[in-house]
Amino acid sequence: MIPRMRSSAAVRVGGTLRIAAAMLVTALLPAIGSAQAPAVGKPVPRLADGHPDLSGIWENGAGIEFVQPQQRGESICVSGCGPAPGAATPAARPGAGAAAPPPRPTRPQYKPEFQAKVADLTKRQVEEDPVLRCQPPGIPRIGPPDKIVQRAGEAVFLYDDVSGGFFRIVPTDGRAHRKDVEPSFLGESVAHWDGDTLVVESRSFNDKTWLTDDGAFHSTDLRVVERLKRTADTLEWSATVYDPKVLTAPWEVAPRTAHLTDLDLVEAAPCVDQDIDHIVDGSHHPNPR
Amino acid sequence: MAKGVWFALAAGCLAAAAGTASAHHSVAGQFDSGKPVQLTGVISKVDWVNPHIYIHLDVEDDKGAVTSWRLETLPTAMMRKAGLTSQMLIADGAKVTANAILARDGTQQLAWVSKLTYEDGHYYQLAGE
Repeated sequence: MIPRMRSSAAVRVGGTLRIAAAMLVTALLPAIGSAQAPAVGKPVPRLADGHPDLSGIWENGAGIEFVQPQQRGESICVSGCGPAPGAATPAARPGAGAAAPPPRPTRPQYKPEFQAKVADLTKRQVEEDPVLRCQPPGIPRIGPPDKIVQRAGEAVFLYDDVSGGFFRIVPTDGRAHRKDVEPSFLGESVAHWDGDTLVVESRSFNDKTWLTDDGAFHSTDLRVVERLKRTADTLEWSATVYDPKVLTAPWEVAPRTAHLTDLDLVEAAPCVDQDIDHIVDGSHHPNPR
Repeated sequence: MAKGVWFALAAGCLAAAAGTASAHHSVAGQFDSGKPVQLTGVISKVDWVNPHIYIHLDVEDDKGAVTSWRLETLPTAMMRKAGLTSQMLIADGAKVTANAILARDGTQQLAWVSKLTYEDGHYYQLAGE
């Protein structure tokens, strides 16, 4: 390869390693399909206070199914790849069982007086999506943290998302909610430990974010309870949404499993609102989370 | 999504993909899969921005006139976690052929790129075709 290409080649090697690591994780996943089994022989790291240390860089895959990066020699397939060359289909993996499409995530159920708004936002979800206008995605739409930095009594959640980089500072000492904060996109959070599970309770949200990608709105009465539990190399995340002003019942968000990675976050790229002006209709991929 | 093998497989396959609350669903409403186009030129610039990256492809016609196309593609985090950088896309000005679909609203020289194939044969598949 000519000298001017060396830097690119070096980066490609990094990409190769990351994708190879991801494929290794994938290959191992049937063994952890229950998403609850602890890694054998590898203890959960703990802080001096005895609580699990959730610190780490966590890759959660964003809960979407059409991105499956593959390294193919010097080439890279990021999305629309189909099965990797030579790879077993999921049905053929030992212990994988019968292949079946993943069930669609449930949606929050709204009171009758909000059905017209539900129908309207479902239809116009693309043109109304605040994330495509570079607004923060809110919680729980943003999903599990991409990185956690934890010390006794406090955890910092970091995110690299479609509309930018975000952080949350979460006291973990069981203190009460603050009363001096304004409503915000990511709300105000406090946490306590339930055994080895960190339970994060958030409130003081504005009503400018969605619960899902496909237009599930909420009110300023929104409360979200997230539960995070670490095994050695995985982070289990789930969330429950409470918004009795608009919902008929609490809504359970589809749980996610994040995996420890070494690809650290960098400064998020700026978000430029330039896509929506070219939207012609409400067509969208069926990938809501 | 219920826990189980399929969820675990999907999550694992995505381990190097986006850590994003992707709003990727905007593509279908913005670009027309029934209007494919293939363009060959050199990438002069990459706008490494969210929610989607824009690649500037300079295409020269038979008479030497250069037209610059804007090719929209994936979010930055998705691209980065697959190991791709703007410099890899530019490839020091190597000739590249882009498979893309045109904008629905008729905006000239705006398209969604699904694949970049470079003159040495390597390629980056960025979306389904």
